[in-house]
Amino acid sequence: MKTVIDTFTIVLPVLYFWTVWAYAKAFFKDSVLAKRVKTPLLLITLAVHLGYLLLRTVLFDHPPITTIFEIMSIISFSIAAAYAVIEFQTKVKNTGYFILILAFLFQIFSSLFIEDLSEVKPILRSYLLGIHVSSALLGYAAIAISAVYGFLYLMLYHHIKSSRFGVIYTKLPNLETLERMSMLSIVVGFSFLTIAISVGLFWLPRAFEHFSYFDPKLIGTVFIWAMYGVGLGAKKTIGWQGRKIMILSIIAFAVSFFSLTIINVYFSAFHKFY
Amino acid sequence: MNLVAVGINHRTAPLEVREKLWMSSDEIRAAVAALKGKPFTECFIVSTCNRTELYGVYDANGSSGTSAVPDINLLKDELIGMKSAGSAVKREHMYHMISTNAISHLFKVASGIDSMIIGDIQILSQIKDDFNIAYEEKAAGPFLHRLLQSTYHVGKRTRTETTITEGAVSVSYAAVELANKIFSDLSKKTALLIGAGETGELTAKHLVGRNIGGIFVANRTKAKAEELVAALGGKAVDFESLHQMLAQVDIVVSSIASEQYVITKSDVQRAMKERSHKPLFIIDIGVPRNIDPEANKIDNVFLHDMDGISVIIDRNVQKRKSEIPRVNEIILEELTEFYNWYNSLQVNPTIHDLRTHFEHVRHEEVEKNINRFSAEDRELVDLVTKRIVNKLLHLPTTNLKNGNEESEEEKHKKLHIVRSLFGLHKQQPPKE
Repeated sequence: MKTVIDTFTIVLPVLYFWTVWAYAKAFFKDSVLAKRVKTPLLLITLAVHLGYLLLRTVLFDHPPITTIFEIMSIISFSIAAAYAVIEFQTKVKNTGYFILILAFLFQIFSSLFIEDLSEVKPILRSYLLGIHVSSALLGYAAIAISAVYGFLYLMLYHHIKSSRFGVIYTKLPNLETLERMSMLSIVVGFSFLTIAISVGLFWLPRAFEHFSYFDPKLIGTVFIWAMYGVGLGAKKTIGWQGRKIMILSIIAFAVSFFSLTIINVYFSAFHKFY
Repeated sequence: MNLVAVGINHRTAPLEVREKLWMSSDEIRAAVAALKGKPFTECFIVSTCNRTELYGVYDANGSSGTSAVPDINLLKDELIGMKSAGSAVKREHMYHMISTNAISHLFKVASGIDSMIIGDIQILSQIKDDFNIAYEEKAAGPFLHRLLQSTYHVGKRTRTETTITEGAVSVSYAAVELANKIFSDLSKKTALLIGAGETGELTAKHLVGRNIGGIFVANRTKAKAEELVAALGGKAVDFESLHQMLAQVDIVVSSIASEQYVITKSDVQRAMKERSHKPLFIIDIGVPRNIDPEANKIDNVFLHDMDGISVIIDRNVQKRKSEIPRVNEIILEELTEFYNWYNSLQVNPTIHDLRTHFEHVRHEEVEKNINRFSAEDRELVDLVTKRIVNKLLHLPTTNLKNGNEESEEEKHKKLHIVRSLFGLHKQQPPKE
């Protein structure tokens, strides 16, 4: 079984590489073959990745959330899975490159440094904690994707405004669709963060002795969740549109990213396990 | 191949000359009826605003047995004469092509690489219509029939296998293409047309063709706007209400003759506030410009003038041009295919194919049943069956060979019948 996992660890980044390559070929070079194989390739990669995560869970008897590199693999999976959902939802098939490259990078780091831990703190063996962490990561992945679409929106916006009609203009979907994709990702991200926070707030206090409502990570996540909540509400009520809301989605992501990084690096509390 | 083509197009003559040779369906009908028989056995004419071309098949043997290649200059004169266009059209305005060149020219026309706007293959349906006229007049025989089949094939393949017809290359289409890059569903958007100029009208037509949700027309003389609306569907609005309309519609197409800006930056600013900054796409095709270019600096406003549009068009034309080599490949393949068919209509290959076919059947049957015969009889069976086949084929072979005094058309018909009767059009499987 051990060798199977090791093989998966090597095969996964390779699969991600080919998937990203196919999406890039389809976008930049208009390759017919790449267009045909990219989505199936993504689905195969996702299936293998899911198998890999389940195998690790079963074999090491804990959800793969015990080290930063296991987490990275889950982030990679979350990004790719969230993208797949968006592709099927919107039927826009040619923006994968800009998103899946993130999944590829996370997975390659994970595969390079991942270790097989079978001795872990008992608390990390909890499957509810698994749900908590996975939904938080899926939420952040979706938010990251929304920022990518926001970025693509702004690129196309400026290209159209300044009459530059190159690859960006020809290949990207129209502005309205990009905006819709970005907003859809935010809704998905917001929902997953809601799940993560709910599970965290109702279950974790019982599992931890030192649980504190003033934990920086908790406050950070709730803050990010609230920020997106207010943004979504504002869009609904005030009707913000186009460039402004896309800039906001990028700023929101940047704020989320930095606050989480700072919290993880500088503040140590019960919420930190590695 | 006894095919000749004479014609006039945008390369050889300016519009005011080539339009003199343009023929209506009725004129084409009369012309092919007149040309059929003398000097041609088969002929057809295709005529569009950019070209008029006559294709004719002549009988090389003639009735007297001497070569009867038609006099090209006489043909040109005849075409000019039919339209009484002698004062405008000279022989020098026209070109001619013979045999292979004529066919490959027709294929180029059908593929759109010979069109004035490269990749424009609306001509394909024109060819179809004009050919049907020739067909109804019984001026198109088996040769032209097959030639036209190949021509459609070239057109179809060009459309599906290359991207030469893709990308907008006219102002009106480019404007619609741009709108499609901003909005995802035009049926949920509305447009305002300012002025009743030709390009503006064309753009509005294309928007209607893409199911635009609604269209409004504002013109200084409202009667003209109403006239346009009657043709397009939509609603005519007062020219004075133009600025209010800016807050309502999503697309503005402006082409009006005006010394000053019809819409200023502050007009647009006001409208954007009113429409809570929903994206607004403005296309200004007026010369001088109708809309203050500064308006493009406002958030969610996309203002483009003729310069911006021509960037799109130039780019698409370049892209289409880069497809020409692929189109030429298709043309070459179809030419080869056509020659194969044409060659098969020659007497000797047909006799050869016929004999191969019979020999194939004979051989198969003998092989299947050979075991029923004793060893010493087997050779005899082979010999006898061969003799039967030879005897059966003797008369057809001599008849085919002696058909030289017949006209080319008759000969082709006969060969065609023989080939389709025995299924010789399909490639025979090679023996052993």
